[in-house]
Amino acid sequence: MIPQYLDSLCDPLRFDPALSRCVRQEVEDHLRETVAADPTDDRLEAQRHAIANFGDPRVIAAQFAAVSLSRRSRRVGAGVIVALGTVFIAMKARVTWFAAMQLTMSDDWRAATGIALAIDRYAFWFSVIVGIAGWVYVDSLRVPTALDPAYRRQLRRYFLICATATSALGVTVICDGIMTTFRLLGTELSLDHLIPIVSMAIELGCTGTLAVHLRRMARRAPSGLSAG
Amino acid sequence: MEGEMLKGHLDMIVLAALSAGPAHGYAVIEEIRRRSGEAFDLPEGTVYPVLHRLEQSGLLESRWVTADSGRRRRVYTLTRRGERALTERRAVWRQFSDAVGGLLAAPRSKGRTA
Repeated sequence: MIPQYLDSLCDPLRFDPALSRCVRQEVEDHLRETVAADPTDDRLEAQRHAIANFGDPRVIAAQFAAVSLSRRSRRVGAGVIVALGTVFIAMKARVTWFAAMQLTMSDDWRAATGIALAIDRYAFWFSVIVGIAGWVYVDSLRVPTALDPAYRRQLRRYFLICATATSALGVTVICDGIMTTFRLLGTELSLDHLIPIVSMAIELGCTGTLAVHLRRMARRAPSGLSAG
Repeated sequence: MEGEMLKGHLDMIVLAALSAGPAHGYAVIEEIRRRSGEAFDLPEGTVYPVLHRLEQSGLLESRWVTADSGRRRRVYTLTRRGERALTERRAVWRQFSDAVGGLLAAPRSKGRTA
């Protein structure tokens, strides 16, 4: 009887495997201890009592889900800030390297990439502002006692903010990629290209990882759980 | 006691139960039951998400230990921040309780003037 109850409590938490395992172990310990302390000789009846006293597994799972989603959202918020910082450092390192190596663009290319440069700058600072706003927003959210509709709405709003920041960062990285390609075009591949290529790889990696995390979170969000 | 009334104060109740020392979930529930004179009748499972939430807020910390039964058990301890939060909540609660007590007390009969 206890394993079935644990399944009904932990299955809705599969979107967070570590939490699901932890809850299973913790609750099993509680239920076994309750059964052991029960004065009745009928073990089955004692198990039934223990489970009844523990409460509706769907309601408890929804309470755990709220805690888990809050933790994950804060992590994503911190991830956005780290990604923005890393992209900024990679951009600055590349620009400094280009200046040191005197790898300048031809006037024709400079004119052609003028728009890309403007988009790059605006998109990056837009993503910084939106990313910081998202972080402040998620940090100000109080973890509710259950996964209620109001909290779901707040989380949806937060994911929208993160998705906007990530999209703007993606635009920045694309523009960086275009400009870096134009700078390196016509030059012979050498070790001097290592810094621009590595910095572009870092930018792509950061933005890609962020996008994958957001997508995974949106897909794993426990839509079936209700506050009860 | 009304479940809804209790839910609003569950964080403070759990922190207070842990002020006696480190305990696992079952012991926390027993402590709440004992110190409340069995007045609080909540589904036991409600306490565990509260423990997780308080840990996430930095008010508690936990570690896994192996019990005599051989089962793995998660033991929670109040952090410094948790102790401070409990002290603050106690003070707020006393103020609130005194104020409500004053309001609910039977009104003193006033001398009527004709």
